Amino acid sequence: MGKRPPITNRVRELRDEHDRMSQAALGEAVGVTRHTIIAIEQGRYSPSLETAFRIARLFGVGLEDVFGWEGE
Amino acid sequence: MSFREKSAWVMGAIMLATGVFYAQLVAGAPQAPVIGPLIPYVLAVVVFSIVAQVGLAIASPKEANAPADERERSAIDRAGNWSGMVLGFGVVSAIIMYIGGGTATLMVHAIVGALIVSTVAEYALQIYFFRRSV
Repeated sequence: MGKRPPITNRVRELRDEHDRMSQAALGEAVGVTRHTIIAIEQGRYSPSLETAFRIARLFGVGLEDVFGWEGE
Repeated sequence: MSFREKSAWVMGAIMLATGVFYAQLVAGAPQAPVIGPLIPYVLAVVVFSIVAQVGLAIASPKEANAPADERERSAIDRAGNWSGMVLGFGVVSAIIMYIGGGTATLMVHAIVGALIVSTVAEYALQIYFFRRSV
């Protein structure tokens, strides 16, 4: 496996807070596959800025409430 | 496993079988053209590839109809980039071999071989990048 990006996220937590939204439903809502949501949640993939904004807007929070820099 | 990864496994296996078949033909008669036995095999490969893709699409119709997303596009692009280098290296090597005294038939074998190897490499790299998440 490759080097993990130094970006943390609360996507799983936010999904749980939103009626346990499924990974497939979130993926469909923001225009990516379920596998990409899984990769984001596991920290194996950093989404594009556009997808990051789509996720944040879907949950009604700011970008920095979803994504953060490791160690901060 | 995503639809595109399954597709890459199937197509990679088909191309690997093609490579083995072609290598056997060439090993049997290195200086002879292999067009005769290769044409029905290529037709069979095309038909089998279509059947396999249709089968995968029936198994996951939603994923099959959806365009590749940003992560998948990135993986496909990177795999294509690296496999292009493999193909380029193979073609240049074949030309150098020809200039160095090899026959035209051997050069064609080397170019077809490079095409097969680069295609197998492309599918293998797609799988690697899908799993690594790019």
